Amino acid sequence: MTDAPTFEAAQRELEEIVHRLESGEAPLDEALRLWQRGEELYRLCRDRLDAAEGRIEELASRAEAAKP
Amino acid sequence: MLATQRLGSITGRGTSLSRVKVEAIDYGDRRVYSVGAFNRGVASWLSRLPTIWVEGEVTELRRQARWASVFFTLKDPADGACLGVSMPRGQFDGLRLDLADGDRVHVYGRPELYEAKGEFRLRALSLERFGIGEHLAALERLKQKLAAEGLFAPERKRGLPFLPRRIGLVTGNEAAAKRDVLTTITARFPAANVLVGETYVQGPRAAGAVIETLGALCREPEIDVIVVARGGGSFEDLLPFSDERLVRAIAACPVPVVTAVGHEQDTPLCDLAADARASTPSMAARLVVPDLTDLLQRLDRARGGLERGTRRTLDRERRGLERTHERLERAPRLLLERGRARLEHAAGRLRALSPHATLERGYAIVRSEGAIVRSSATVEPGRHVDVELAEGGFGARVEETR
Repeated sequence: MTDAPTFEAAQRELEEIVHRLESGEAPLDEALRLWQRGEELYRLCRDRLDAAEGRIEELASRAEAAKP
Repeated sequence: MLATQRLGSITGRGTSLSRVKVEAIDYGDRRVYSVGAFNRGVASWLSRLPTIWVEGEVTELRRQARWASVFFTLKDPADGACLGVSMPRGQFDGLRLDLADGDRVHVYGRPELYEAKGEFRLRALSLERFGIGEHLAALERLKQKLAAEGLFAPERKRGLPFLPRRIGLVTGNEAAAKRDVLTTITARFPAANVLVGETYVQGPRAAGAVIETLGALCREPEIDVIVVARGGGSFEDLLPFSDERLVRAIAACPVPVVTAVGHEQDTPLCDLAADARASTPSMAARLVVPDLTDLLQRLDRARGGLERGTRRTLDRERRGLERTHERLERAPRLLLERGRARLEHAAGRLRALSPHATLERGYAIVRSEGAIVRSSATVEPGRHVDVELAEGGFGARVEETR
């Protein structure tokens, strides 16, 4: 993956891929390629969410520590 | 030197001009006046003073039918200073004031010397009772006048700063009001910076002193709001705070003013001109600084909400992503299944087109030596042929040809 897309862009592309696959219009070869791409996008999105969650925990514990 | 001296004319009501001659007796180098001449001269001088209004309380009222005048002593309730007053009896009776000791009056008159006794007194030309009622009426007139000028208009009121850099406090040096304001400010916002201007808040000098202190505080740097506080008092005590000059000074003050003077029921006029009024000095303090503890709690709650909100967003995104992923995983299998089904369908049609299906309908295939027999000309009676049916087959011999 070159030039990592934003979470929203990745999510949008993933949804488009799913839609195309579900419509059954894609030839098998393309379908396989789309699936692979979809899995990549899914992993990318999940990594972003994991990172965001980690950041929330970090900020929350820092805020907790700052309480008088 | 002339032995006579001209003294001024008497300016009483409707009196004709007259000159008073005061004659002195010369004893060598000493000039001496008789008592009568002296009194006459002083009386003449006094009569030139302007007629004025004097306020005081009536005491020692003396009235007798055989006297031409009524006498009473006017007493200053503030310091006990006394002034004798005389008034023509007929005029006094005509007013029907029914005065009692301690009644407050306004006397219009001019100074006078009773020459026979050398007694100084005020000759009353007019007399008015001036009780609380009259006072309130006078204040009401002032209030209407200032209101008509727009001094009390709501649109003139300025908002108070959320957190003033410095707070000016105009107050008396009496403990209560000052202490109330300072304690409340410190309790609510310990870091607040208050500059105290102590001044007179009672008596005839109060209005001027408060105006002066207000001005002095305004000239200080970083003053963002000024509190004028006085811890209540009697109607008279609060009068300086209805003084027209003070009311105007508060309205014209370049920084917002909060007043905490007196009580809810009789509002001093300065309260109406102030940008905010408080019922007590500590209420004024609550208006000028926020409560730090409350502020921190609100901030804390906001932070909590921030965290909860972010977590909710994250959860929502995660659930959405998982659902999309499930669809993604299902999609190729569905595609495959659909492909398979299509294949089966094609196979079915393929099978439908095979000769077997024709045999099913009752036809048979006849082969001779492996080749399909299409014409009777290719066989002759006695020839062995193979017959294939939908199910199984058999060998046969040709009986005849047609």
